[in-house]
Amino acid sequence: MRRVAITGFGVVSPVGTGKAGFWASLKDGVSGIGRITRFDAETFSVRLAGEVKDSPHLPPDVDAFARRDPKVGFAFAAFAEAVGQAGISRLDSRTLLHIGTSLETYDLRLVVRDGRADFGAAAGFDPGTEDGPVQIPLDKAARLIEGRYGRPGRSLTNCSACAAGAQAIGHGFQAVRSGLFETAVCGGFDSMINPLGVGGFQLLGALSVEEGHGPLSCRPFDAGRTGAVLGEGAAVFVLEPLEKALAEGKDILAEVVGYGSSLDAYSLSAPDPDGSGAERAMRAALADAGLSPADISHINTHGTGTQLNDEVEATAIRRVFDGHWERIPVAATKSVTGHLIAASGAVETGACLLPLLFGHLPPNPALERVARGCELHHVTESDRMFNGRYALTNSFGFGGQNAALVLGRVD
Amino acid sequence: MRPSDVVITGVGLVTSLGATAAETAGAWLDRRTASIAALPELAGTPLESAPAALLPEFDAAGRLGGRRMIKYMSQGALLGCMAAREALAMSRASERFLPERIGIFAGNGLAAANVTEVRDIIERSIDETGNFSDRLFGERGIATANPLLSFKILANMPPCLVSIIEGIKGPNVIYTPWEGHTAAAMLDGMNAVACGLVDCALVGGADTPSNPATYAFLRSTGLIGADDFPAAGAGYIVIEKAETAASSGTKILARLDTIEMSASTRPASDPLSSRLGRTYAASPAILMGIHALAGGDVPPLTGADGQDVRISLTYPEAR
Repeated sequence: MRRVAITGFGVVSPVGTGKAGFWASLKDGVSGIGRITRFDAETFSVRLAGEVKDSPHLPPDVDAFARRDPKVGFAFAAFAEAVGQAGISRLDSRTLLHIGTSLETYDLRLVVRDGRADFGAAAGFDPGTEDGPVQIPLDKAARLIEGRYGRPGRSLTNCSACAAGAQAIGHGFQAVRSGLFETAVCGGFDSMINPLGVGGFQLLGALSVEEGHGPLSCRPFDAGRTGAVLGEGAAVFVLEPLEKALAEGKDILAEVVGYGSSLDAYSLSAPDPDGSGAERAMRAALADAGLSPADISHINTHGTGTQLNDEVEATAIRRVFDGHWERIPVAATKSVTGHLIAASGAVETGACLLPLLFGHLPPNPALERVARGCELHHVTESDRMFNGRYALTNSFGFGGQNAALVLGRVD
Repeated sequence: MRPSDVVITGVGLVTSLGATAAETAGAWLDRRTASIAALPELAGTPLESAPAALLPEFDAAGRLGGRRMIKYMSQGALLGCMAAREALAMSRASERFLPERIGIFAGNGLAAANVTEVRDIIERSIDETGNFSDRLFGERGIATANPLLSFKILANMPPCLVSIIEGIKGPNVIYTPWEGHTAAAMLDGMNAVACGLVDCALVGGADTPSNPATYAFLRSTGLIGADDFPAAGAGYIVIEKAETAASSGTKILARLDTIEMSASTRPASDPLSSRLGRTYAASPAILMGIHALAGGDVPPLTGADGQDVRISLTYPEAR
């Protein structure tokens, strides 16, 4: 089977639009979390989020949708940066496009007619108006990309919640490795920083309502953690056969070497408390890569800052990396980006490139006192260096979908 | 058949033609068509006379072994869980394979919340000028919402509920929202069985385009033709290698030869639509399931996503 190289990476995140700014912020532990400005959230109990500050420059047709559904614009911009780096200007039949996201944007404002909710009347809108349809399907970003860059051999939109981005990359990796496709352009995108998204998560009690720590209010693995903070953004990767990329003189950012997915089969909202689902995903990724736990030198955790998730993940990591976890530095980049839901796995795969490419480990600046049960080799300082070969990143989704990816440095 | 062939050993269907796979396939062979009616939620609107397929009556609690999980389910999740249970029972897959060795490869349609529930939330959030207000939504609208609403609108929840109810723990993908996406998931499942990533795959999906809000969206965007009618439905298929079916004495319904997909410029065309209704993301699985039971060549499908889907089945000689 073929080795698979990352030849392009694009990112839009709360800590930077474009990979240079993103990596610089991660390296220094600069947080992108603050008060919600995207809508009037004063009456919500959740008022913090990691918003994208530097809106990407978009073509007018994409921008029209992005104004109503920001994640569509994030996906497009991350895609454009990634394929630009890889030197791809058109998608063709040998290319797989696979991007993951979570929840449709449903514009509640447009359902209101004459002071009441009227779905039928909303359907009678004039398609020529600026409003457009009430509902924006999850494959809209893929369609806009295809409109600009041509149709790929296969276009997939994955909706595996917080595991979606990692699953898309894992699937793209498998497709290129097996020779099914020559190129995979894959990643994740999301924004739930809208009334329905924030309100829905608020109802679930999954988000922090504490604002005392300001930009460091998302506190993965900390004893004082109070829940997740929503983020938004996108990350997209170009995957190609390593030999072909080398022959063409392309920049090789890293290689993807393993992927595993699993299901908890336990609960819609909570992880299996024994961590077995997370453990199976990590073990599957290691097996797929042909590596042992001793080979891993860095882990980017899912690390949401919720009570149960962090403890379960730490437990699963200690079990998988028994005898090794004390020396493996772990990152929890949601501490500065917030939880980008379906984009998180892809953005955190991009975060793994920081140590693999530049030797810098991203710190968790919000971690002051490690919670009981969350013991790992946490990195809190911004000057920690890295000289390892392989990094693993975890993504665990609502509904019990788990994914793990293993990346390798290419010398 | 060769031991390495991928074969179908279980089919579960809930469609406008029947509440089970046998009922649906029987109605298909009898050339029956779905009952249709206008949706009461759209009365007084431009869509008040637009028809949608009716589902037959079914006992969801009886089929799913109780009501406990039903409260978390959208209609699509409910139909999907019933279809998955039927398919797994037919193949006895849960008895024969480890949970970690069974994968789910599914498609799911457009998000479709309960309109009555959403209407209450919106109307609590309308200000004195008659417009939707973010402030009122935060102050009053959310308080009206069912805390379980998120579970009903997240697109991955229907297959995840299948996993939870059936205890399936293996590799998985969930694509959305059109026919080609479900066909791609089914193809991934077929490849996963063929290469040994899983011993058994549950492939298929569910969709509820007859949800009034979804129907309104489909009509407003031209994604459903004037002559078409939407139909809720679900289909799940159990596939495995011929050798595992043969070694356990499990009945093989058909050999799954290929699922071919290609980009198309043709308008959408669903061979089920004139009799069963347009089921979008559920259609490839329903199409495969009906033919696995009823026999015959599977006609091609062109999805709303511009994907041509061709499924090829071969039937055992002793059938």
